[in-house]
Amino acid sequence: MSSDGKLLELEDLKKWFEIRRGFLSSKVYYVKAVDGVTFSLDEGKAVSLVGESGSGKTTLGKTIIRLYEPNGGRILFQGKDVTHIKANDLKWYRRMTGLVQQDPFGAFASHFTIFRSLEEPLLIHNAVESKEKRAERVFKVLEEVRLTPVEDFAYKYPHMLSGGQLQRVAIARAIILEPKLIIADEPVSMLDASVRIEILTLLRRLQERLRLSVIYITHDLATTRFFSEWALIMYAGHVMEKASTQEVLRNPLHPYTKALLTATPDPNPENRNRFKEVPPGEPPALVNPPICCRFSPRCPLAFDKCFKEEPPEFEATSGHWVKCWLYERS
Amino acid sequence: MGWLSMSSSKHSRGFKGVLQEVLSYKSAVLGVLILVFLIVLSIYTIVTIPLPEAINAWRSSEMWTKNPRNAQPEWIEVFIGKRLPRTITVSLANAEVSRRLLGDGRIAASWVAYFNYDYDDFPSELIVFFNSSYSEKPVVDIYWLRPDGEEFLVKKHTLRRPDDRLYLSNDLGLELRLSGLFESKVGGKPNFMVTVEKGLFAEYSLDPRVLKGRYGIRFETILNENDVFDAELVVYGSVYGLAGTDHLRRPLIIGLLWGTPIAMSFGLTTAILTTVLNLIIGTVSGWYLGKVDTVIQRIVEINAILPFLPILILLTTFYKIDLVVILVSVIVLNIFSLGIKGTRILVMQIKSYPYIEAAQAYGASNGRLILFYVIPKILPPVVPGMISAVPGFVFLEAGLSYLGLGDPFLPTWGKIISDAQSNGAFYKGLYYWVLEPAFMLILTAIAFALIGMALEKIVNPKLKEL
Ligand SMILES: Nc1ncnc2c1ncn2[C@@H]1O[C@H](COP(=O)(O)OP(=O)(O)OP(=O)(O)O)[C@@H](O)[C@H]1O
Ligand code: SF4
Ligand SMILES: [Mg+2]
Repeated sequence: MSSDGKLLELEDLKKWFEIRRGFLSSKVYYVKAVDGVTFSLDEGKAVSLVGESGSGKTTLGKTIIRLYEPNGGRILFQGKDVTHIKANDLKWYRRMTGLVQQDPFGAFASHFTIFRSLEEPLLIHNAVESKEKRAERVFKVLEEVRLTPVEDFAYKYPHMLSGGQLQRVAIARAIILEPKLIIADEPVSMLDASVRIEILTLLRRLQERLRLSVIYITHDLATTRFFSEWALIMYAGHVMEKASTQEVLRNPLHPYTKALLTATPDPNPENRNRFKEVPPGEPPALVNPPICCRFSPRCPLAFDKCFKEEPPEFEATSGHWVKCWLYERS
Repeated sequence: MGWLSMSSSKHSRGFKGVLQEVLSYKSAVLGVLILVFLIVLSIYTIVTIPLPEAINAWRSSEMWTKNPRNAQPEWIEVFIGKRLPRTITVSLANAEVSRRLLGDGRIAASWVAYFNYDYDDFPSELIVFFNSSYSEKPVVDIYWLRPDGEEFLVKKHTLRRPDDRLYLSNDLGLELRLSGLFESKVGGKPNFMVTVEKGLFAEYSLDPRVLKGRYGIRFETILNENDVFDAELVVYGSVYGLAGTDHLRRPLIIGLLWGTPIAMSFGLTTAILTTVLNLIIGTVSGWYLGKVDTVIQRIVEINAILPFLPILILLTTFYKIDLVVILVSVIVLNIFSLGIKGTRILVMQIKSYPYIEAAQAYGASNGRLILFYVIPKILPPVVPGMISAVPGFVFLEAGLSYLGLGDPFLPTWGKIISDAQSNGAFYKGLYYWVLEPAFMLILTAIAFALIGMALEKIVNPKLKEL
């Protein structure tokens, strides 16, 4: 497959967790947390991954950077198949990708100084030859995330920093090896509302300046507009809708996305376009789910076919894909 | 997560900080002082008495012939309130010599040597060491000169060999003669047994009292032309040095001193190695899980029901025992302990922390994660236990020595106690023989226990309230 500007391509990617129920039982069940995801991401572009809790966003993110071993499908990175690479190839892939986690307070070893935490990736990859150059790089990256004066932060321990500062360090750590792809898994959801925008701005600016590709995982549809070119709506392990962020927000097609965006008269403008837990009902259990549209139990528009067959992805308008039988062209 | 987050700030204190905090406990100050003392003592010992020398001294019987047997330490006087005799060596170097040429070319010679005796108790033993060369075995007459002017023939002795020894204390004939002499002087039976020492050193009275003053010994003999005669009287005391002597006249101080570095290094090495190895095994078990974990868990369970001491005894009967064999067997038998289960659970918990995942994402290998990310987290809480375990291993080594399973060459505290026991120390009233090594053992135990307890309180702040 040629990679014309494409950094990452997922083809029918699957991550199933194996679980055994009951003592001594040999029967194996699967939690199909990511069940056939296909999309591609251009170099230097950002995509938002939106969905309610348990829809498989984190699992997808971790599978993409190979923290989890995929159970099916393919991951292509710069056209190279990285689905099951091992050892040195995997180490190279680790260097090309970065992770920013949700919880900044848990993201650092408490016995390392900030300096040591940032130095670790460089040491592991032998990325910089000398001690002086390593220090230089650490200070540079701290500057990059606006933790200045850098000496004030470098020799502190994680518990001496605030959540926002720690998340900046986490971003610094994610970019210190100069990767091509960053997974940011709800990077601001645990922070004070007051610093969220700062962190997102920082991330966006770095993404543009360093020509990074970013997969931004979030609950919060409002921030996607501000952050990303593309949006994926996930539900129960499936991508229900994908299109440019503008398109998804302005012209949602999938009943689930529509439900998410139903304009309720909210007095607080900040809460407009905010993710809402509608329609009522729970996402289906992902243990051996039935073959049908996974949204069908909650879908107000569901019809016969929805309960019998899983819909494929239809291209409703150019570049706007929807996984719903309503958009089947007859 | 509880203690991990609580102790998260602790990692940053470093050694100095921890030491400061330890020293904020009075009991720990005492522990540290004792420990420093023991360390200084160990270093002093190693520097002043090199090990080969110490082993040699401990195994040599010749080296100590001029030491008293089973002498108490000198400081015992403080409790008894009497001046107890030290060992006096009376040589002929400063003796008054007289020689008379006989008609046949032989020489009649005599030597008189004097010494002062003003102790409050009798000597423990008297031996004359000869050192002569002769063409014909000479007959030596030995006279005793008392401070009260009394003078009598002690013994007519024909030398059996050039370096002959005359054990005066064991001479029954002499004892009988002295006893008779005593009775005639006092005019009745005295209230004590007249032994050779008492016969020679007591006042002529019914009660045993030392006659203090200047004593002399005179040797008279007839020598051939080229003969050389030399002799030395050793008046053995009943106290010796700082620690006394044992049944083989060896100064206990050598054993006590050398016992310190041996006990400390044995205790520390076993405690540290077993703790660290258990930590690593538990970490591997909890980190990799799966088959490795299953195997380790089974070994732990089997190990838990194996009898430790009998196996150790069995091992030591099969192999040439030295300290290293004991060390290795103790470590082998102490790893795979039940404590591994706790470590394993802790590691499983740590493995699920985000910072581990973050490190995996930037490419940290399992080895690096275990070494730099997990072990430093779980090490601090096991340090107090490790320190507290030292006395147990020190006592174990002593116990094994006591059972005769110790290193046969090294002088250790356990060996001293074992010797004392097999020679009936308590039965004979030689309490110092047992109490001195026991004191050292307890001192060591207290030092480590006190420090361990303080560390425990620091690592686990909840204990502070107790
Ligand atoms: N290691 C695992 N073993 C078994 N099941 C798992 C595992 N990790 C996740 N799951 C399950 O997979 C599903 C998707 O989880 P995931 O964490 O990816 O969701 P998410 O979209 O990130 O949710 P949230 O918004 O709460 O972070 C959930 O049902 C979860 O219970
Ligand atoms: S396929 Fe059917 S059930 Fe699923 S979203 Fe579309 S209409 Fe609703
Ligand atoms: Mg998540």
